Amino acid sequence: MRVVIAEDDALLREGLALLLGSEGIDVVATSTDATGLLEDVDTHLPDVAVVDVRMPPTHTAEGIAAAVEARRRHPDLRVLVLSAHVEPAFAAELMAGGAAGLGYLLKERVGRVEAFLEALQRVADGGTAIDPLVVEQLLTRQHPASALDRLSPRERDVLGLMAEGLGNAAIAGRLVVTEGAVHKHIRSIFAKLDLPPGEQLDRRVAAVLRHLEGRPPA
Amino acid sequence: MAQRLRRTADALERLVAGLGSAVVAIGTLIGVVVVAGLSLVGVGLPAVAPTAQVLRGVADRERRRLGLGPADAPVPSTARATFADPTTRRELGWLAAHATLGWLSGLVGLVLPLYALQSLTFPLWFRWVDAETGGPGPLVWPVRDLADALVVAALGPVWAVLSVLVLPGLARLQEWPARHLLRPAGSELALRVAELRATRAAALDAHAAELRRIERSLHDGTQNRLVAVSVLLGSARRAVLRDPTTAAGSLERAQSAAEAALAELRSVVRGILPPILDTEGLAGALDGLAAGCAVPCSLELDLPERCARAVEATAYFAVSEALTNVSRHSGATRARVTAARHGHALVVEVADDGLGGARDTTGSGLEGIRRRVEAHDGRLFLSSPPGGPTVLRVELPCGS
Repeated sequence: MRVVIAEDDALLREGLALLLGSEGIDVVATSTDATGLLEDVDTHLPDVAVVDVRMPPTHTAEGIAAAVEARRRHPDLRVLVLSAHVEPAFAAELMAGGAAGLGYLLKERVGRVEAFLEALQRVADGGTAIDPLVVEQLLTRQHPASALDRLSPRERDVLGLMAEGLGNAAIAGRLVVTEGAVHKHIRSIFAKLDLPPGEQLDRRVAAVLRHLEGRPPA
Repeated sequence: MAQRLRRTADALERLVAGLGSAVVAIGTLIGVVVVAGLSLVGVGLPAVAPTAQVLRGVADRERRRLGLGPADAPVPSTARATFADPTTRRELGWLAAHATLGWLSGLVGLVLPLYALQSLTFPLWFRWVDAETGGPGPLVWPVRDLADALVVAALGPVWAVLSVLVLPGLARLQEWPARHLLRPAGSELALRVAELRATRAAALDAHAAELRRIERSLHDGTQNRLVAVSVLLGSARRAVLRDPTTAAGSLERAQSAAEAALAELRSVVRGILPPILDTEGLAGALDGLAAGCAVPCSLELDLPERCARAVEATAYFAVSEALTNVSRHSGATRARVTAARHGHALVVEVADDGLGGARDTTGSGLEGIRRRVEAHDGRLFLSSPPGGPTVLRVELPCGS
């Protein structure tokens, strides 16, 4: 896997490169701002760009805009955005055009290396990785009388993991149940939430997110 | 040009009208002085209230002329209340100013363009004037023939230019006492409220900028450092699984990052509001900084009164950061800190005799000072030629 990193904090940039490098991931270039990122992507055509949200000059949401632009130029590029704090609006902006091959994680998740590498791999494979905290905020933000109330606690857990972008096998692993059980839960959830069943994984994530954000199904 | 001429003509018109009201003011002032004198011996007291009535009438004419709005209270009916009435007092002040300054400026304003006109036309009528009295204006030399008269005419444009330059300001000068003293007191209050509202908004802006700065330093410094700690620890844990001997490097780096996070957290916390400012004031706090500096540091303070705490904190922070740079990078043998209040500004300066070449680049401590100073609408000047000396100067509005 070939990766570029855009992160303005030197220590963190080097730490990330070191970590990924020692895991056998090829870090082909690093940059400190959006312009550098776009140049790196144009030059090296990496598989994945790992991008910090806040970068110079305004230190607000440059990373999101840069990621969207990089994807516009290279639709096959996968992007994993790292953020110091959770902002569901950033995730929504990033994934406005679909969630496939995109990730949005809190920076400190990188420290849990196994889970981070798993999320990175998922994004590289065209899947989705959304931070559990974003999902949690989306879930708790729902109106009291929403359709979510009809879900059982177990189904809520499954929905949350689905929204993070996990596949059936991974969900089964996390919840320590069989894949068959996960299947049953998912069918039940989709029925209760009025979502079209039986879709591909990334479309499924998008549908769940759209539902959680209160937008109409595409 | 046309606009200048129009402004001059407009000013002339106002000055002439002002001259008229100034003549009335002189008459009224004489009356007021007489009544005041008689009141001192008692017999004038019954005339006080009617005189105030006359004064109000004169002032009201001026208010209408300048469009200032009516007086805000009726004239009191008794002599005692008249003496205490703020509106009447202000009208008296205006009367004195207008009868003197107003009259004089009206006269000058009228005479200047008149001189211009007289001088320009002088060659046409100088023959009918006694040659020994000289020309128009303050001319003292005799004008005997056409050549002399043409010289006088050449002065005409000078008078004209002078009129164009001076008249608008003169008109403003003439109206200034009225605009200040004859406005209803309420509108002054409204003005004050607007002013306070503006300063309050500025203070809130500064406050928000300050919060943003703190948020930035926590995010860019402490938070990122801690994330790096976590990343390096994660890396170390993976290394332990593969080959425990390789983990030491990552652990070492993780610890350095944790220490860096602590150091930055400490500087952010201390920078928010150093406790010593509250106990010792800025003077005491700077004294402590100078005493603690590794390079011998002299101190000159002229701080008769305190500034807003946030401003003092910023000044303190700037000096602290500057002295750190002096002892770390400058190679100086002496440093000098001065802090003084200049009007509404607090000015602090840190100078050293070191190598110079200090630069205000991204990521430097100086950038931190600049950000913080600018959050308070202040300014930072740095002079540090190669070879030294280095002078850092910070000017901050006091906010008090």
